[in-house]
Amino acid sequence: MLEVSNIETGYGDVQVLYGVSLSVKPGEVLCLLGRNGAGKTTLLKSIMGLLPLKSGSISFNGKALHTEPAHLIAKHGIAYVPQGRRLFSELTVAQNIEIGLMVQGRGHQTRERVLELFPRLRERMKQRAETLSGGEQQMLAMARALSTEPRVLLLDEPTEGLQPSMVALIDEVTLKMKNEGVAIVLVEHQLDTVLTIADRVAFIENGRNPETVTTSDLALTPNKVMQYLGVS
Amino acid sequence: MEFGPHFLLASLEGAVNAAVLALMAVGLSIVFGIMRVVNVAHGEFFMLGAVLAWWISSLVGAHPAYGFVVALIAAPLIVGAIAALADHFVLRRINYDPERTIVATIGLLYVLQQTTLMTFGPEARPVEAPFNKRIALPWFEKTAEGFSMYWPWGLGTTTYKLAVIAAAAVILIGLWIFMTRSRIGLIMRATQLDSEMALAYGIPVDRVYALVFGMGAAIAALAAVLVVPIQQAHYLMGHDPLLLSFIVVIIGGLGSIPGTIVAAILIGMSDGIISVFFSPTVAKILATLLVAFVLIFRPQGLFGKRVA
Repeated sequence: MLEVSNIETGYGDVQVLYGVSLSVKPGEVLCLLGRNGAGKTTLLKSIMGLLPLKSGSISFNGKALHTEPAHLIAKHGIAYVPQGRRLFSELTVAQNIEIGLMVQGRGHQTRERVLELFPRLRERMKQRAETLSGGEQQMLAMARALSTEPRVLLLDEPTEGLQPSMVALIDEVTLKMKNEGVAIVLVEHQLDTVLTIADRVAFIENGRNPETVTTSDLALTPNKVMQYLGVS
Repeated sequence: MEFGPHFLLASLEGAVNAAVLALMAVGLSIVFGIMRVVNVAHGEFFMLGAVLAWWISSLVGAHPAYGFVVALIAAPLIVGAIAALADHFVLRRINYDPERTIVATIGLLYVLQQTTLMTFGPEARPVEAPFNKRIALPWFEKTAEGFSMYWPWGLGTTTYKLAVIAAAAVILIGLWIFMTRSRIGLIMRATQLDSEMALAYGIPVDRVYALVFGMGAAIAALAAVLVVPIQQAHYLMGHDPLLLSFIVVIIGGLGSIPGTIVAAILIGMSDGIISVFFSPTVAKILATLLVAFVLIFRPQGLFGKRVA
């Protein structure tokens, strides 16, 4: 179980998170919901160790993560699909996947498993990542993360700006990972997606986490979405 | 000597220049490309390589070839280790901040230069080449019976100079294979493209930086060991190569290895040829002028990518 308790962090002097706590169990999808600038990406980055914590702690299966150097977080089984994909643009598809495989020292078997999820990438292995279409780039970002055989998957707006069929494919893979027992933290603005794949929803507002509710409760109280996102 | 043979001689000198300059500039270029650090102390790593080559070969004694071979291996390793330590204790502490790394490497320049002066003294030190056979080169002239070959007086080179050109080519090809085919090269390029994502994907960016900074310095030292049998080792010898390396790296495109090599050949050859026919000062003036034009008309360099 991934546990974030009471963390405070930010960029230099600018504090973004003020005591956020949450937890995700294996096989569970926790969705972070909040306006732009609320601190969702900052939360994912601090889990990856990319931002130093001012206070609070992050642990995975009882082991403290926030005291580890950032490059060791991935080795604990945490994989990150950042917003805007951030592939290694000048490296080929195969090399991007290779970087993911290196994290746990995985080889051929893992690569095949990942490519079965995204067969389109198989035809593009020698192409540079920057030459792929948006949808293919997102597939590659997912593939790179899954090549680390993660137990926790952090997805930051994985379907942003994609065509419906591509959104469906990404959602399908996300659900598949959930069913395989991966704990998933998902930042997503599409409410219908949230309601279909999330188990629980954590609202993030001004760097705080005022409330976490189950998806079924959320469906019964739609005014909460209004309250935190300003839409209904 | 007529123009033809004279030009050939100048071109050979230029080619030796270009070979050494290409190595030196590639070292500067990978450090900038991967770490975004403008290493002003790069010339001092070159100087240190040359001085250590003299020191090591004078310690070894025996046949000059033994001393040279030991220096060829040991000097780059020692210089690389010093650079890696400088990265660890200086550059990392200032978070690789672009402005502060420039000031820090200027400081490093003086520390290295003055330490060398205090340790080894101000004399220029020769290192004997491991082999140095003179080769006379032929030229052709048109006579009534067609072309005939003759050996103009003074037209020649040495086996060692040719070996320097060949060695530089081999090292550059090796480096290219290392960067594009090896796993460490892949890790370095991933770090260059997005260091934060590299960190998120288990790459120890700190260690990669120390390795890259050490490697850049070691390549400069290697260039120095190669050149020191031609040009003596001296504690102030780092200045010109540093200036020329910056010129080459700016013309070639910051961080682009192929661009750096093409620009090194261009600048090294023209520096050699113009120095022979006019003067070294004219050569430097023209090279600097070329940089000015590149900065005006193609600021990203010949092979560089335009920053969006």
